[in-house]
Amino acid sequence: MALRTEELLLNVGPQHPSTHGVFRIVVKIDGEIIKEATPVMGYLHRGTEKLAENLNYTQIIPYTDRMDYVSAMTNNYVLVSAVEKLMQLEVPERAEFLRVIVMELQRIASHLLWWGTYLLDIGAMSPFLFAFRDREIIIELFNELCGARLTYFYMRVGGVKWDAPDGWIQKVRDFVPYMRERLKLYDDLVSGNEIFLARIKGVGRYDAQTAIDYGLSGANLRCTGVKRDLRKDQPYSVYDRFEFDVPTRTEGDCYARYLLRIEEIKQSLRILEQAVEMFPEGPVMAKVPRVLRPPEGEVYSRVESPRGEIGCYVVSKGKDSPYRLKFRRPSFVNLQILPKLLVGESITNLITILGATDIVVGEVDA
Amino acid sequence: MTEHKDQEQLQEQQAAASGEAPAAKDTTKPEAAAQGEASAEQPAEKGSAAEAKPAEAPEGGTGAAGRNEGPASSGVKAETSGRQAASGEAPASDGEKPKRLDPAEREARRAAALAARAAAQAAGEAPAGDGEKPKRLDPAEREARRAAALAAKAAAKAAAGGGDEGEGAEPAPKEPSPNQPLLDKIVALIRDQVAPDAVEDQYINEVDSHLPVVVVKNEHWLKTAKLLKQSLKLDYLINLSGVDYETYMEVVYHIESFQTGEKYCLKVRTDRDAPSIASVTPVWSTANWPEREVYDLLGIQFPGHPDLRRILLPDDWAGHPLRKDYEPLDPEV
Amino acid sequence: MKGLVKGLGVTLRNMTKKKVTYKYPDEPMKMPNRFRGVQHFEPEKCIVCNQCARICPTECITLTGKKNPDPESKVKLVIDTFDLNFEICILCDLCTEVCPTEAIVMTNNFELAAYSRDELFKDKEWLTANNTNVREENNVSLLKAKKGGAE
Repeated sequence: MALRTEELLLNVGPQHPSTHGVFRIVVKIDGEIIKEATPVMGYLHRGTEKLAENLNYTQIIPYTDRMDYVSAMTNNYVLVSAVEKLMQLEVPERAEFLRVIVMELQRIASHLLWWGTYLLDIGAMSPFLFAFRDREIIIELFNELCGARLTYFYMRVGGVKWDAPDGWIQKVRDFVPYMRERLKLYDDLVSGNEIFLARIKGVGRYDAQTAIDYGLSGANLRCTGVKRDLRKDQPYSVYDRFEFDVPTRTEGDCYARYLLRIEEIKQSLRILEQAVEMFPEGPVMAKVPRVLRPPEGEVYSRVESPRGEIGCYVVSKGKDSPYRLKFRRPSFVNLQILPKLLVGESITNLITILGATDIVVGEVDA
Repeated sequence: MTEHKDQEQLQEQQAAASGEAPAAKDTTKPEAAAQGEASAEQPAEKGSAAEAKPAEAPEGGTGAAGRNEGPASSGVKAETSGRQAASGEAPASDGEKPKRLDPAEREARRAAALAARAAAQAAGEAPAGDGEKPKRLDPAEREARRAAALAAKAAAKAAAGGGDEGEGAEPAPKEPSPNQPLLDKIVALIRDQVAPDAVEDQYINEVDSHLPVVVVKNEHWLKTAKLLKQSLKLDYLINLSGVDYETYMEVVYHIESFQTGEKYCLKVRTDRDAPSIASVTPVWSTANWPEREVYDLLGIQFPGHPDLRRILLPDDWAGHPLRKDYEPLDPEV
Repeated sequence: MKGLVKGLGVTLRNMTKKKVTYKYPDEPMKMPNRFRGVQHFEPEKCIVCNQCARICPTECITLTGKKNPDPESKVKLVIDTFDLNFEICILCDLCTEVCPTEAIVMTNNFELAAYSRDELFKDKEWLTANNTNVREENNVSLLKAKKGGAE
């Protein structure tokens, strides 16, 4: 005999540990099965784009730190690269290398944070502690480099603020083998765990067609077999000088996304290894006027952030603040597929699927 | 606001701090570049100023052309003028009409001023003084100088105009962009398949890695979007942003094809009073939330959208913040 | 079953490892040199140029100047009030970056928790008294300007 069930409207969030921020999702459930899901967002909307219209370009950079606060370096980069494109600035090589190093460290830090919290979401406590412990090393490196642990505000239009302090590069060099060792340990700890596999294998599956149609990017797109990485496809900064692979998988489920992010850490380590070896001498700041007034024009700059493609569309009217600044936030775009994925899933998979999308609410709401 | 004042004060303070006489205030100093540029700012206002600043037309012309080559060449100039350039700006803001100049204009004017100085020295004159002290010159020389100054002014204007138009109106013939065939292809396709007059404007955005830009007429947009997805395999909508240009609104679509790797920027303009653009959510599912965002922040309607509600702001929010005429209800918040 | 045992092995092996956590509130945390903490302000150095107030992205600095009581001095203005609102300050470092005389510098102090919002409103006296752990490298852009790097 089947149990009698009835439809129920369940409100998850805005304050819910699994949403990693203030994100709310209203689900209509029938028993345990989700019939409909409506994401509600905007709780963290600070109006970055509006604020930017009244700030000059240097002042906007700290605001970008606060969009995707887990990956502030790539956010810094997307804005400064857009302005540099507009002003046709030549950035010193050393600055570009520093940027690449911090962006790759940031990618590792971001993926580690995701790894820890995702496993925490689905019920594993200790990986979280492992991940945060290793992320702490990167955070300390950043702290030493630019004086902040989360909102770095490290990049400037035309270069970076600080040169690497003495011994910093060596620390990065030492970090690479250390992290490789740790990744093996991570694999032992989690990747083969049967409970974990049962929980995420085959969950939240979609195909490449859907992923492209929904404009997904990052691991969310690569898990369907689409080989897309802006670092390879449209190299920015000095990424064309490094050898690395773009890992893809074809399953399109949460487990594929999980494996990809682990694999991406390995590739980032490869880039780091090469970057510290090739690290050139020279200035870290180009000659830029004190007041930045990019010539009239518009530019769209795109960068592969840990979450996918982050873009920055700047319309300049020749003033010292942008006429219009629009960020393409990968979390915001990636999240769109969520209602579609959730329909027909069990309520327990809500967290599994949401977590695997890897959103940062500061970025969703901007 | 008091920004102008601030700048003045700041300069004074800095000068005082470094123990220098405040250069900005010193009008008797015959630093021609600084002064020359100062009055080059308002040559029309003072006839005598124009006389005092002779310039050679061809020189001014090269200055303007140099500007078009981009900041690379202006960097060289900035180096040579060094401190003069820095102090040259201050008198400009000291004048009756302080204005913010865009770099192109400034560069052109600086070039003109430098040319003026060179010409003055060549003529065996003392460096041209400031505008308030007109000199007696013999008429022939005066005439020649006036002509030269006018020419320099025209050159400066041309350069500024070039800057304003962006890459649209370059005076010199330029290399065809590597993406010109792409632009021609998409334009021909739209004209052929949608409507002969469907393309409002087309150009190559050179700053943005030669991205082909096509402005499509509002009423033909949905048909164009469907066509692009089918014929050109533009399957990936990268970004959708709305811009308020004060006289009209514009929605910008950055579209890419995963199959061919081609990238385009498409723009659709709409009336500002009743902004409305056909929704492309049926074509690219990506457009769903970004369209809601544009509706939320700019108030553009997207007929055909499945669920057009505010997305980031509360439902009862008054107004659309990214509109240029937006007045917050409570300015303190 | 194998994966589970493997994972458990990792956990057990780590139990004997050295601790990596700090005993934070009991042991103060040492921040690196470049750390951006609460600002220290030196009124004597300030030339009331207003640059810090203008560059601040959140407009958290308010300052006023007054006529220099010493008419002999070259400096015409001296600082009268200088307030920093730590409710909105984001410690972005821009004020110290633009300050031509290093009158405002960062310190390594970061503990700002307070019971009342009013306490977060720091005035000139408080900022002047906050003179411990002052950051050494404040003038990276100033040095650059002297060398002719920027501008």
